[in-house]
Amino acid sequence: MTTSSPIDLIDLECRQIRKTFDRYFTAVDDVSFSIPRGSFFSILGPSGCGKTTLLRMLAGFEQPTSGEIFIKGKSVTRTPPNKRPVNMVFQHLALFPTMTVAENIAYGLRRRRVGKSEIADRVKSVLKRVGLPDSGYKKIDQLSGGQKQRIAIARCLVLNPDVLLLDEPLGALDLKLREHMKVELKQLQEEFGTTFVYITHDQSEALVMSDQVAVMNNGVFEQQGAPRDLYYQPQTAFVAGFVGESNRWLGKVTSTNHAGIELMTDSGLKLSGQFGAEQSLVVGDRVEVFVRPEAISLSRGGGDSKGQNRLRCDVGNVLFDGAKSQVLVVDPVTDGEITVSLPQTADFASLIRGEPLALAWTAEQTRCFRAEG
Amino acid sequence: MRTSGGFRLGLMLLLSPMLLWLLLLIILPHINMGIISLSERVSSNNYVFSLNNYEEFFAESLYWNTFLRTALMSILATILTLLIAFPVSYYIAKMLKGRSKGLVFALCLIPFWVSELVRTYGWMILLRESGVFSNFLQWLGLADGPVEFLYNDIAIMVGLVYTSMLFMVVPLVTTLDSLDNSYIEAGYDLGGNGFTVMREIVIPHATPGIVSGCIVVFMLTLGNYLTPALLGGKDSLWFTEQIFTQFITRFNWEQGSAFGILLLVLSSLIVWLGLKVTRQSFTRVMS
Amino acid sequence: MKKPMNKTALTVLAGTLALVALPLKAETLRLMTWGGYAPDNVVEMFEKETGIKVKVTKSNNEGMISKLRATRGAGFDLVQPSQDRIVSAQADFNIYKPIDLSQIDTTQMVGSMLEATKKSTTHEGKVYGVPHVWGTSGLVVNRDMASNVRDYTDLCGADVAGKVSYRLKRPTLIGFAFAMGEDPFAAYGDKEKYSRIMDKVEKKLISCKANVKTYWSGGDALINLVRSGEVHAAMAWDAGGWKINNENKSVTFVAPRSGALGWIDTFALPRKTKNEAAAYKWINFVMQPKVAAMITESAGNFTASKGADNYVNDTLKAQYQESFPSADVDNIKWYPPVPAGLEEIEGKVLDRVKSAG
Repeated sequence: MTTSSPIDLIDLECRQIRKTFDRYFTAVDDVSFSIPRGSFFSILGPSGCGKTTLLRMLAGFEQPTSGEIFIKGKSVTRTPPNKRPVNMVFQHLALFPTMTVAENIAYGLRRRRVGKSEIADRVKSVLKRVGLPDSGYKKIDQLSGGQKQRIAIARCLVLNPDVLLLDEPLGALDLKLREHMKVELKQLQEEFGTTFVYITHDQSEALVMSDQVAVMNNGVFEQQGAPRDLYYQPQTAFVAGFVGESNRWLGKVTSTNHAGIELMTDSGLKLSGQFGAEQSLVVGDRVEVFVRPEAISLSRGGGDSKGQNRLRCDVGNVLFDGAKSQVLVVDPVTDGEITVSLPQTADFASLIRGEPLALAWTAEQTRCFRAEG
Repeated sequence: MRTSGGFRLGLMLLLSPMLLWLLLLIILPHINMGIISLSERVSSNNYVFSLNNYEEFFAESLYWNTFLRTALMSILATILTLLIAFPVSYYIAKMLKGRSKGLVFALCLIPFWVSELVRTYGWMILLRESGVFSNFLQWLGLADGPVEFLYNDIAIMVGLVYTSMLFMVVPLVTTLDSLDNSYIEAGYDLGGNGFTVMREIVIPHATPGIVSGCIVVFMLTLGNYLTPALLGGKDSLWFTEQIFTQFITRFNWEQGSAFGILLLVLSSLIVWLGLKVTRQSFTRVMS
Repeated sequence: MKKPMNKTALTVLAGTLALVALPLKAETLRLMTWGGYAPDNVVEMFEKETGIKVKVTKSNNEGMISKLRATRGAGFDLVQPSQDRIVSAQADFNIYKPIDLSQIDTTQMVGSMLEATKKSTTHEGKVYGVPHVWGTSGLVVNRDMASNVRDYTDLCGADVAGKVSYRLKRPTLIGFAFAMGEDPFAAYGDKEKYSRIMDKVEKKLISCKANVKTYWSGGDALINLVRSGEVHAAMAWDAGGWKINNENKSVTFVAPRSGALGWIDTFALPRKTKNEAAAYKWINFVMQPKVAAMITESAGNFTASKGADNYVNDTLKAQYQESFPSADVDNIKWYPPVPAGLEEIEGKVLDRVKSAG
């Protein structure tokens, strides 16, 4: 997906960046993208996909084997990290334990030979903006996890970088704090208006915070777009499987028509589905099929529901998780399990094991991709 | 954690060999030395209480000059050792990875598999007039005749620094190893150059290691006997040599004990001053 | 968790204590002596003949006295200090036991040497030593390079500048004193006079310091220095000079014009000797002419054993005769016992020489 912003509004651009280690292993394979000014850009991928290497190249800690990196239209490919107008928030934050909070923040300013009184002012103001106005004198180990997070960001933002790189900084936090920090990070980004490049393996972090998300796998961007697009219009099987939850089947195309395809899963289910515009599928092709749990509508006692795909199943396990509750149903024909979101209505409050349920979903929500091999 | 009487007893019993060792081999001899140092021989088998041995140290310029010289040379040797060991340790801890790291570290340890005497003789073979360096210079045509490198203060310094290397490298590698690379990267990322990252991030982090290494090297150097005696030649005045002479050659245990106590007190004083200057606490450095 | 921990601790403690002292069963003779005085072949012969194991510890005069002083005369069964160092050490530290001459086959010993040793080791009417090995200290000279060196003071000559070595110990002080025309031995009883002589020697040694390459401290170090040609003239023992002479004919021991300094190493019993009988057996054993000759071969010095010379090899005899034409033998200055207090004066002189410059 290409953005149509004019070139002077692009903060960061990468052209065909490649990084090979030891001549055999390609960590990043010809990746190109550009990030518009002031946006929150996430790179989402499993560990080992090359996202950390990519980020380290942006920061300048690694040299790309080939390709160019531009910041505000200027090539920084050969610029050392201490001369690049980018700053990085490290995975474990790397706040200097031998310095106080204020000294940590002032470190970068002192490197730029900013005057003493100006440093004091700027440190004070940035501390205020991150909501920790009285913490300047504190030692790093006196801060809580969330406070450290904010100081690490303040330490970078006080330098007014063109781009702020974040290397999974929420990874070390506990769940509750992580949920909270997601919101806070987004707010900080909006307040400062700095371009954020955020890498993570947690799809929820990427989806919640980002304007744009790139899904990375095996050194390439599988798909780039707004969180909503990635979720609803995955263009590859990897994205469909990695972003959000899905029921997944493998099967074979049995017939094609203008609206989509008919297919038979390996377990014996007959389904109608659709496929992306880029692929052309013919009868006999192997396909991977994804259906989101919330796309399936349920009805009790054989009621009517819309959708080309209809199944009669029995209730297996009910996984209660408040608003995110799910029910595992068992298809009596194939004995396969299907995960379905549990509607939050009184109708379904009293499901019992073994009870028959009618499932239905549309062909549009049955996304098919050519399977490898 | 709950500490009960039984647990404490177990701990005491476990510690008892060490406490016994401390008491029998360190504390008692020192008390005995302190007592001996306060006596003076009047005639055969006739000793009286006296502070004379201590007065002698301050009255006879030779003695405190020797001490001063020993202390200054030891401080210099400590500084030189630090200056050489720091880049080496940084290289081992931060630049090398995996097998080569272990290998280079082991290379630093290998010289310490032979005794100090053998190592010192090694240096004598290299430095003496008919030795390797002298011959090499003549072979290169840089020297007309044999050159003597041995028997001077520089030779002592070389020997001391070489002997002390390990005791500086080990604590430094340990502390530098514990410095996560991301701190160094963050230092660069926020605009620092090699010098400022070293000064503001690496060195503050490594300070406990530096100080503990320096204390160990200083104490070892101050108490070294072989190296100054063998490499130093006719001008090698070293305080431990003076103690040795008093005890062994002069049979003057009283004077030797006083020197021993003075060495202990004065060197502790220097270490204490060093800690004050670098604002470190002894417990922190040694933990 | 608690109980086993206590048990472990107790076991560790008990083990540690149990290891401290394991008594030795076999009969042994613990001998503290000089290098070469108890060569392996002699020890082996002795062990075969008597069944007594010999444990040899190498040391020197100062080492022997210090060790015995530290243990108040325990730890060894037989020691071999020089005859002039026994009386003062005995007076100060009471570390020796009188010798029972009836236990010793004195007929094996050169009579004059035995009498001299008895005389100089008598303290409060009791004899503390019998002679074993004797030798001299003088000059080891490379005749090709330093033919002018004939006396101790010649070491300070300009022609050997930087090529000289000697020990910073009392024999050097005594040697220089003789070479400067003094008689320090005659001044032994007169502290003031002795002090004056030593002051003179001190000045000489300080002015001579620039000539010295290094003060040697061990015999092997000196031999290395001379052998490698780094030192052309040194003050040393006769045996060291002869040893180098075996390899390099131009180096040999020279008896100084003012007289070589003669010493006799003795046998003495530590006060707390545990195996006196074995000690006497050893003395009688090694004084047999044939065994004594073996010791001469290994130590390089002659013994007080009567008739042992006949068994000594010709090289050593020739070297001896070359170094000591008969007049020089008569000129040897034998060390008299050192009175208390002199070593303190000498110590200060040595300290000042060392720190000068």
